[in-house]
This record gives sequence, C-alpha cells and structure tokens, in this order.
Amino acid sequence: MMSRKSLVVMQNEFMRRVTSKTFILTTLLGPALLIGFFAIIIMISISAVEDSPEEISSLRIAMVDETGVLNARILDQDTGDHVLVTADLSSAHEGVLDGLFDAYVHIPPEVISGTSQPLLYSLEGGGLGVRGTLGNIIDRALEDHLLADRNVSADVRSIFDRVVRLESVRLTDEGEEAGAPAREGYAIIGMVLGMVMYMTMLIYGTLILYGAMEERTTRVVEIIVSSVRPFDLLMGKVLGIGLIGFVQMAVWVLMFLGAMIFAGPIIGMFVDPAIYDLPAAATNQEILAAANISMPHISVGLFIWFILYFIGGYLLYGGLFATVGTLVDSPQESQTLLLPLLMPMIISIVFMSVVVVNPDGGLALGLSLIPFTSPVPMIVRLAVTDVPIWQLLLSYGLLVLSFMGSIWVSARIYRASILMYGKKPSLRVIVGYLRHG
Amino acid sequence: MGSLVLQGVTKRFGKVTAAQDVSFEAKPGRILGLLGPNGAGKTTTIRMIANILTPDIGRITLNGHVVGPWSQEQMGYLPEERGLYKKVKINDQLRYLAALKGVHARESVPRIAYWVKRLGLQQWSARKAQELSKGMQQKVQFIAAVLSNPRLIILDEPFSGLDPVNSELLREIVAELKANGRIILFASHRMEQVEQLCDDICLIADGKLLLKGTLRDIKRRFKRDKLALEFDGEAPFLNAMEEKGDLHFLERNEDGCIVRLAEHCHTRSLLERLLATPDLELYRFELLQPSLNEIFIRTVESQ
Repeated sequence: MMSRKSLVVMQNEFMRRVTSKTFILTTLLGPALLIGFFAIIIMISISAVEDSPEEISSLRIAMVDETGVLNARILDQDTGDHVLVTADLSSAHEGVLDGLFDAYVHIPPEVISGTSQPLLYSLEGGGLGVRGTLGNIIDRALEDHLLADRNVSADVRSIFDRVVRLESVRLTDEGEEAGAPAREGYAIIGMVLGMVMYMTMLIYGTLILYGAMEERTTRVVEIIVSSVRPFDLLMGKVLGIGLIGFVQMAVWVLMFLGAMIFAGPIIGMFVDPAIYDLPAAATNQEILAAANISMPHISVGLFIWFILYFIGGYLLYGGLFATVGTLVDSPQESQTLLLPLLMPMIISIVFMSVVVVNPDGGLALGLSLIPFTSPVPMIVRLAVTDVPIWQLLLSYGLLVLSFMGSIWVSARIYRASILMYGKKPSLRVIVGYLRHG
Repeated sequence: MGSLVLQGVTKRFGKVTAAQDVSFEAKPGRILGLLGPNGAGKTTTIRMIANILTPDIGRITLNGHVVGPWSQEQMGYLPEERGLYKKVKINDQLRYLAALKGVHARESVPRIAYWVKRLGLQQWSARKAQELSKGMQQKVQFIAAVLSNPRLIILDEPFSGLDPVNSELLREIVAELKANGRIILFASHRMEQVEQLCDDICLIADGKLLLKGTLRDIKRRFKRDKLALEFDGEAPFLNAMEEKGDLHFLERNEDGCIVRLAEHCHTRSLLERLLATPDLELYRFELLQPSLNEIFIRTVESQ
C-alpha cells in the first residue's frame, strides 16, 4: 500500500509542518490552554454552587407570614445567609418597588392545609438559587410546625434529619482502591480525554481538508501528478499529517504522565504535616494519605486505546475530509459538504455527559459501536467503566473497516477530480467518479 | 536513445472525444511543436504522455516501452496550468519536486544551485514562492521540469508571461537541451515561436491530427500561391484582372502589392505581362512561402 513516492510526500508534509511555529506553539501551549479551559469551567461551576448563598445574603427579603405560625420557625431556620425581615403585605410590596427589599415572600394561611403555595415576589422574577433556598427554609419550617402540632418526639424528628451518603469504591484486579476519588475523578478524566479526542480529530481533519485542497488551489497539482499517482499523494498527505497528530498526542501524553507523577509531591509540598499530627519528616505518600488525597489511577491501557482511537477516528474523518477537499476549490465551498460529516462528531460530544453518567447503558453502547461516533464515547467509557473486551474489539473493528472504506472512496474521487478545477461537481458526477474511478 | 511514439491514441470523456486516433513520433535531439486551437486536445494528449491520464485505445511508448510510473521519472513537464506551493521556499520546493522524480537530495542540491544561478534566481532561492513575481515563478517551474535531467521534456506555453530577455534566455536553454539529445515537446498557439524553434510539427484540432511532418515538408506541401510585387509605374491591367476574378489583392500600397492568383492563371504569364508593360520598372516579383499561421488557419478552417 505504501509506495516510495507516498513516503516522499509523507516526509515532506511531516517536515514542513513539524518545523512550523504553529505546530511547536500548539504542542507546547495546547495542554496549558486545555488545563486553563477546564480550570475555568470547574471554577465557574464550583463558584456557582458556593456563591449562591453569599449572593442571597446580600439580598434583603421581606417575609409576609399570614399563617401566624411559620414566621418564628422561618427566622429560626435562618442560617445567616440572607437578611430576612418580617413585614406586612403592603409595606413589603412597597418596599420591593422602592428598592428597600430585593424580594418578598407571601405565605397565605392556606399553606398550612396544603391548599395554597407561598409566593416569591421580586423585580427580576427571582433566580433559581433564591427560590430553592427560601423554598427549603419554608418547607422545613412548615414540617417542624406540623410535627410539633402532632406532638412528635425529638427522636422521631431526628429520623427525618438523617441523610444517607453513598460512598463509592472502585474494584480493580489488584484489589480495592480505598478512598478512591472513584466516579468523579474518572468522570473528569473521561470528559477531558473525550474533549481532547474530539478537538484533535477536528483540528487534524481540517488540516487534511486544506491539505487535499492545497495542490489544486495553488495549481501545482499537474506538476505533482506527473510524478506521483494521486492515490500515493493522498496517502502520503493523510499519513504525514496523521504522524504530526501522533507526535503531538505522544508529547501531550508524556506531559500528562509527567504531571501525574509530580502532582502528588507538589501538593505534598504545600501541606503542613503538623495538621495531620504527622512527624515533620513524613513522606509525601503519608501526607497525601492523611490528607485523603489520592490521584486517580490511569492505566497505560487507557492511553494506548486513546491513541488507537485517535488514529482510527483520524483516518476515518481524514479520508472523508480529504474527499470534501478534493471536490471543492475553496474553504467556503466546503461548508455545505462538511455539515453532514460533522453531525456524528457533534452528536458524540452532545451525549458525552450521558455516557459519563451511564457508561454501560444502551445509548453509550450504541454510540461507542457506530464508527462515526465511536472514538469519543468509547474513550469516555474506557475511562469511567470496564468495557467488555468484545465491545472494544467490535467497535474498533468497525472503525478500521470504515476508515479503509473512506480512504478508498476519497482516493477514487481524488483521482477522477484532481484535474477538474474551477467547477463544483454535481452529485451525479461524484457518483460517476466513484463508479469509474 | 529512443523516441516517444504515439500509436492510434484515443481518449473520450463521456460523449466528448478529446483525442481521436492520434499518432506521431518525437525524436531525440529534435523539438516537436504541438499546435492547435484552444480545446483541440493538446492538453489531453500531453497528459496521456505524462501518464496522468491513460488512453482508451492505442499506446504510447518511450524508448519502446509503454509509458507508466517509470517514464514519469524520465520526464519533465511544465504544464500550462501551473503553480507552486505558496508558502514553501524555492530551494525546498525544488528539492521536493526532484525527490518526487526519484532524485536524491545529494544530487538535486548541486543541480538546483546550478539552475537557480543559470536563471538568475540566486537572491530568491531562500524566499517563499508567494514573494516571487509570476515570471520568476515560471522560471522556477521550468527548473522543476529540467531538474531530473529528463530524457523527455514537455513545455506547454513556456514563454507566456515572460519578458523578451527571459524568453531569449529560455530559448537558449531549450536549444542547448535539444543539442544534448533530449526529446522536446513544445505546445503553443504562438505560431512565430513554433516557427522559430520547432523541427517537427503536429497540428491538432477537435481531437484529430490534421497535419504532421517536419516544418520544411509542411511548408513545401502548401503551394506558394502568394505573390509579392514591387514596381514603379502604372499597371492598370491588374485591376481589370481582379474584376475578372483572375487575382485577388491581399495587400496594396504605394510601392506595390501582395496578390493571390486564381488557379487558372500562371505566374509566368503575369510576369511576362508586367515586363511587357511600357514605363513600368519591376523591382520585386516573389512567390511567398505561406506562414505557419496561414497554414494553421487554412487547415483548421477547411475542416
């Protein structure tokens, strides 16, 4: 399959791109950008959770209790996160309109009997956070009132306060991974790997798209095909650009592994052993164990599968993107043809969170078997759960078959259309290319 | 060294026949001019020779062997639709194009240095193609065509867009390559260039070969039916002859005229008549050879 000429093309594509400033910059800065990207997402989601009480605390909320029994309990429940003020209906109403209060809650007497619901009035309509917090407080107050009304004892009351927290432990061949970050840690790793897979497939697919167009748009094509068979040219390009992707991946994996090795000691340096009643000479492991920090364990197998799926997905999409590149003369023209190709990719990203939550479900299985969507969900599943080996082999087998098909198709179209520039071929012409090559 | 031979070559694209039963031979040490109006099938024929397309019928051989990937390495091609990788430096670009022809860098590097100097591109060899003018890019493409020391060189409109100085330089190099025993195929519709350069001619129109042979034979084959006259005095009988349809004025000025005689009139009798006219001093009486341009137009129109 590999001729000497496609090796020359591959080497040229590789050397040209690997020495470019863009490549060196993205390889070195890529992980930093990615970490920054996820750090921002995580920080925003964490702060959204943590900030909400603080935000409410800055809110002044008037309570208009018409039941006459809940107000004291509500103020009792007040955790100090917000300023609750007792008021009557008209002053509360005026107060909100005058800006004296941010909102007021009207609790009609029928709330006790359950035939009516409290109402939150505010100028903005009230965010979900405020409603949730206030709702919980009123709910709790009502519950207390009703229980007290029926003379329920304190022991029984405490039964209602009990919360069961399900701890998870990951089982591995080596035994239990105690105190493991389990699902959360692996889910984050799965999401990150899925995201990286998606982005790299897209980036390298686009490179192929432009690469396949390059000879035609620069009109150098006729000189080139008088020296190389179009198939060898296409193979050389796909493999050369793929090799770049592989090198970039390998660098990133090494950087990641390095980060995993050094992350523990670095965290250890910032933790004072005295806090955990450990001797000053405690090792990093001891400190980390005492601090209950453990790095999620990532198997080498996961990285190998990641690279295998990247190669498979890249070749499948590379072949299809190359086909588009051979049919059009400019990136603008490629948009309509690209859309159907991007759909499966987008679907696999849209359902990534579903796959993380339910990695063994039907949707996750289906998406990770279909070749056009399989790379992203499969890598997520591999990170989160134990994928049965038959599923892995079937999924990868289908992927290999389809990328061979896609390269075959694009080579045929490439050969027929390589010298036809300036006009956009119709669907019938494309089918003709496929039939007659 | 053997020739390039086309035997009964036919190529169809759907219902369009781009080349029909084309046969000719291009010999080493000679320049073959491939002529034809736009859309005549020149490019298709060249692409088949370059093994970019394969003929439906017929065969093309170089040195007795059917052309294929092997012959691509023995061939240099300057296409009419030409370009370079925009963002690649000239040196790197030429090294890559040579490598695709199977020339190792250790051979191609000194050759590139030689040709770059020969064509006056030294200052540009480390620049990217997009920084070069169109004419300079064309010289780079010409280098690419000769870099692998090919036995067969195909030049499609090599002079278009070149200034007179560079055209002359290129013509000189082509003459040198010819003297070196290369087979040179020169496609053009600029007749005066073809007349200047070519030894052999193939005229193609509508995919068919209309004329072939050496430039001299072809010119001889067309009758010298044009007459250039220069004289001092009056020759009113010429006008009378035109009215009778015996001759036709092609050009006319104070000093003389160029006429075409009708089939039934003899040059000899016209000469005798001119000499017999009193007070007429005849300076010139010459049967003109038809120009290639005329042959071209006449052959294509008669189809």
